[in-house]
Amino acid sequence: MSGVADQVTTRREAARANSVSAVADRWSNALQRVPLHIVIIIFCAVWIIPTIGMVVNSFRSVSEMGQAGWWTTLFPPHGFTLASYQQVLNTENVGTSIVNSVLITIPATVIQLAIATMGAYAFAWMKFPGKNIFFIVIVGLMVVPIQMTLIPVLQFFKATGLSGTITAVWLAHSGYGLPFEVFLLRNYLGGLPREVFESAEVDGAGHAVRFLRIAVPMTIPAIASLTIFVFLGVWNDLLVALTFLGTSPNRPFTVVITQLVTSFGGGWQFLTAAAVLQMALPLAVFIALQRYFVRGVTAGSVKG
Amino acid sequence: MDQIITAIGAIVLVPLVLLGYILLGERVIERLPERIQEWFRPYFWALPAIGFATIFMVYPLLRTVVISFRNNADTTWVGFDNYVYFFTFPSTLTSLRNSLLWLVFYTFFAVGLGLIIAIMVDRVRYESLAKIAIFLPVPISAVAASIIWKFMFDYQAPGTTQTGTLNALLGVVGHEPVAWLVNSTTNNAALIFVGIWSATGFAMVIISASLKAISSEVLEAARIDGANEFRIVQLIVTPLLWPTITVIGTTMIINALKTFDIVYVLTAGAYDTDVIATQMFSQLAHAHFSRAAAVGVVLFAAIVPLLVVNIRRFQQQEEQR
Amino acid sequence: MSEVFSRLSSRAIALSLGALLLVAACGGGSSNNSSSGNATSVTQWVAWGGAELQAYRDVLKPFTASTGITVHITTNRDSTNQIANGIISGTDLPDLAPSTTDPIQLKDWVTKGALKPLESFLDMSAYTSGTYPALTTAPGGAADDPYIGIIGGKHYMLMIKTQVKGLIWYNKKVFTGTAPTTFDQLLAINPSQYGAQKLFCAGFESGTASGWPASDQIDNIIMRQNDAAFYTSWIQGKVKFTDPQIKLGYQTFLKEVSAANVYGGSNTALTTNFGKAGDPMFKTPAGCLFLEQATFISAFFTQDFPGTKAGTDFDFFGHPSMGSAANDGNLNGFYDNVAMYNDTPAARKLMQYLATAPAQQIWANDGGTLGAIKTLTYTDPVFKRAAEVANTAKNLLVTAGDFMPSDMQAAFWKSLLDVTKDPSSLNAVLAHLDQVQAAAYKAS
Repeated sequence: MSGVADQVTTRREAARANSVSAVADRWSNALQRVPLHIVIIIFCAVWIIPTIGMVVNSFRSVSEMGQAGWWTTLFPPHGFTLASYQQVLNTENVGTSIVNSVLITIPATVIQLAIATMGAYAFAWMKFPGKNIFFIVIVGLMVVPIQMTLIPVLQFFKATGLSGTITAVWLAHSGYGLPFEVFLLRNYLGGLPREVFESAEVDGAGHAVRFLRIAVPMTIPAIASLTIFVFLGVWNDLLVALTFLGTSPNRPFTVVITQLVTSFGGGWQFLTAAAVLQMALPLAVFIALQRYFVRGVTAGSVKG
Repeated sequence: MDQIITAIGAIVLVPLVLLGYILLGERVIERLPERIQEWFRPYFWALPAIGFATIFMVYPLLRTVVISFRNNADTTWVGFDNYVYFFTFPSTLTSLRNSLLWLVFYTFFAVGLGLIIAIMVDRVRYESLAKIAIFLPVPISAVAASIIWKFMFDYQAPGTTQTGTLNALLGVVGHEPVAWLVNSTTNNAALIFVGIWSATGFAMVIISASLKAISSEVLEAARIDGANEFRIVQLIVTPLLWPTITVIGTTMIINALKTFDIVYVLTAGAYDTDVIATQMFSQLAHAHFSRAAAVGVVLFAAIVPLLVVNIRRFQQQEEQR
Repeated sequence: MSEVFSRLSSRAIALSLGALLLVAACGGGSSNNSSSGNATSVTQWVAWGGAELQAYRDVLKPFTASTGITVHITTNRDSTNQIANGIISGTDLPDLAPSTTDPIQLKDWVTKGALKPLESFLDMSAYTSGTYPALTTAPGGAADDPYIGIIGGKHYMLMIKTQVKGLIWYNKKVFTGTAPTTFDQLLAINPSQYGAQKLFCAGFESGTASGWPASDQIDNIIMRQNDAAFYTSWIQGKVKFTDPQIKLGYQTFLKEVSAANVYGGSNTALTTNFGKAGDPMFKTPAGCLFLEQATFISAFFTQDFPGTKAGTDFDFFGHPSMGSAANDGNLNGFYDNVAMYNDTPAARKLMQYLATAPAQQIWANDGGTLGAIKTLTYTDPVFKRAAEVANTAKNLLVTAGDFMPSDMQAAFWKSLLDVTKDPSSLNAVLAHLDQVQAAAYKAS
């Protein structure tokens, strides 16, 4: 019964599509949607303009920034200058800290993902006593704030002689990141088709082979997006680096920027260039790889 | 230079070492009797992950709880002294209150706005552009975000040219400039807003993916039946999105309670904007370890309900597998 | 198929074993890094930025030229907290950095061996005879004076610069009257008589150290309302904050930052960085008549307003009396010091250099500061006067906040920001400070 009604509706609608009233209808629909557009545009403006403001400021001289807001530079005379960038790059420690950021981020990412993938495979495809308890503990650990662990971990590094080394920060980040990664990868790995593994097992492939030649290749999308996620998290981290490397020459860019804040006090203007430099890499990474990022993040949480 | 070598070494060697671990381990395990293999192998594989989790999270967690009941020099037990300090000192109480404010408002708005924006942009043609705009603050570090907003909140004396965007806008409508970060009616809200600004994109993107998974037939049927858009969102979309919203909500609550960077960089906790994480950091800096531990335990206690919820959800998921 | 697998896995195993060997081989070298322990470079943390830093670089030029040692400078105003963290966590420390001024922390760091005594590399007799005595000798010959870095008879702070605080700066073209001698006279001045909007300018913002300029202001009030012994007891935590004299100090301070007296109201005072606080004095119309600040602010003026000169365009007069002639001889002085955290040959050479008159003379010539050595010459009339003021002070008293335990200092600074923002909260704020004081001075 509804099928006929549907057909009638469609035909009638098709007949009306070209009449004047149809056009008017479409216009009024569009107008009703004007509030929608306005709201969306306002949100987009609030979300983008602050960043644009700072980027514009990074190209102005310090005295100008103290006298008028960034929007005035958009009108002539422009007064753009690279002075802030030169200042920041000439500041002691900045160059080293950027290198340190890279040296901290990449290995930390690699280490934790390697360990997490192995562990996730075990939790996903192997049965063993106490598996559930271990997994619950790991899942539970996802909510533990890092601050809870700082003091003992500090003592641990002191005892093992790793204080102030970049290695310490790799290990710390790995430890803190593992719960979430194991959780996510375990969900993903668990969703892989059982038959593929079973037929490989029948063919005589041991767990190592099944892991390396089947599980890992099939998990690449999740690993790829998780890589981006972890990479960004470590690159942008302040607390872990500040606590474990605050005084060390190995400290990364985020810590140096924060220390510059305290040193210049009112000279926030100098920091615009530093901030732009610090955000450049994550933004570039994100823009280039956004597909993987979204896909992987949703894969873990939306599933099931 | 040797730093670079160590880093490259780590990148290359760690996976290789793990590879070797797996391959060699399997070689050995396969020689063992079947029954022993069954339980030994999983522990072997999961050992690195479990080991790290234990060293960096489980043990420290327990140890911090213990420290909070001892004195600073770790020589005697002091019972609840540190907790008494926590709950009687105005500064620590303020940080607790502020963290609760963050918990409620940051979570509510980040998820709520994420939801609303996801639903709205679903209906326009420039959806991808809008989504990129909202998501853009997500990869930006909290430090950079704080600097961005420092300029937005900038304050100059009334009557002089305003350099801060917000105060300039206020000037356009003839209002006096507001010292956003100093004024106690506005400062916490300002900081929380910076957090919301950073996080909404994340919530939006995930909710949007779930939104798109909702079958369009269901929505069409509802529209034909005469339901207006708001009712559709309320009665169909939101319930279907509820699992996603819960997951995002949990993540946001955890983020809210862990907030450190934004407060530390923008106000260093001054003018009653202190949160638990900054409070703990300053206790550490003053070498009050046991008090810092107590602060940490209080934070953790606030999170325990989430822990329970998380675990229960996981167990439900497990049953469905 | 299984053969293929096993051949691949054998190769992988071989690779992994090789990798393990490599790890073991290079494992040792990574934790020693190049920054400290060098004969040719020194890492140093300083609290100076902008013009002050430039002046320090000028001081270093002859040193680097003659010794070839490079000095890697990091500007960090939060250095004490971060070094404290570093000592606790055992991370590398900079070779040279300011010492802590918290007496408890100082003793702790000396016990832990984090600070190195000057006696091990410096000619102490030359040092103590050439430097202002207040900076190098404990009063009464005591073995300990943590306020100037003397523990167990040994010195841990090398004094290189001094500042006189509590000076009232003014723009000579704006304020053309005579300097008031009492505080009441100062408050009675009508700014509009000179074409200025308000009496005072103030700027308390300084990142995580915000509030310290306010503490300077209140210190100068309290040390003139009371005698030196009372002031010192207060620093040592023996006088409560709710003590009527301290409360009086706060109330007097509030007069300096009241909406009627301070440029831009309390919001401006709280959000303006200390270095920029005096800028309104040089604008037309002038925002204010006076800025209370230490000697170093002169360099900030000349930096922000190139072409202005100390003595011709701006000058200072001493802090007016609070009504008690006996206490007028109390002067608030401060010193910049350098302490050694890593004993390296290069660091020693730098410390020895900084203790010499030629080094400090370069600083003095750059303007904006007094040296620590008595015999320096100042061409700048303002600084000549400031040096005389320092030399003739009866008691050179230190800045209170800097010598309280670090959490007391933090609460103290914060309290000044809070009362500036909300004067009606004074009693609650003082009560809270008492609470902090009770806990902070327990050497736990």
